[in-house]
Amino acid sequence: MSRVVLLDNEAVHALADPAHPKHRRVISHAVVVTRRKARAVPVSIAVPSAVRVEAGWDRTAPAWAFINRLRIADIPLDASHADAAAALRTRTRVSVADAHLGAIVRASNQVTVLTSDPGGMHLVAEGKPIEVVTL
Amino acid sequence: MTDYQVIDRINELLDSTDDQTVNTSMRIPAALRDAAALAVNELDLAPSTTVLTANALRAALEAAVMQAVLDRHYEEHPDARPTLADLAIAAAELDGHPLAGQPGLLRQSAAEVQQRHPEAGPEDVLLWAEARTSAAA
Repeated sequence: MSRVVLLDNEAVHALADPAHPKHRRVISHAVVVTRRKARAVPVSIAVPSAVRVEAGWDRTAPAWAFINRLRIADIPLDASHADAAAALRTRTRVSVADAHLGAIVRASNQVTVLTSDPGGMHLVAEGKPIEVVTL
Repeated sequence: MTDYQVIDRINELLDSTDDQTVNTSMRIPAALRDAAALAVNELDLAPSTTVLTANALRAALEAAVMQAVLDRHYEEHPDARPTLADLAIAAAELDGHPLAGQPGLLRQSAAEVQQRHPEAGPEDVLLWAEARTSAAA
């Protein structure tokens, strides 16, 4: 079973910016994912597109070159995710980015979220068991 | 081509949605081919040996390109390189390991393991820490 490691806004900035105080912490998770991939363990890192918008992560901008190269997949806000996120946002009043995260959590089997807002992640998970790593 | 141009090109190719296939002249050991065929046919490891081979190659390339990016990042930013303890903590956190909430124990275990085994990995540290915990219980 494949595990997906999701980044929130803070995790994106921490990973992208070597001067960020949590940079090495998020790099550590990227290294562990890399090591597992090398052993053919099914694991990936991904970012919800709504989080990418919130973080200002423009893949065409040179400032994001490092993080662009780390094979972090976009998870688009497609129709089914939009429906789930909209319903979640109505119930919980969370941000659009967090609602998209929650929609992905609902649709995934094994999820780890790197976040500065563990309470918010548990809120959008709505009881689904996930691993939340507090930055 | 510079290293980054190579990395970017590999990433482009890995991200390609073009599902065109090619016959290759790649030669692999016959025994490896036979083992793969058995694993596919008898153990349902993958839908076909082609899928098995392609998936393994993709995983290896993804790991290699990520490691290449990280290595170049460390050259430019040496402080970004995680310690063995950092990696052990991250490995525990990713899976919700019971010791994820004990970073002090993991840091101590990393120091102990590294003294005896300089090439140890984060999973070795977790195993050591688990052993210490159960021995102390």
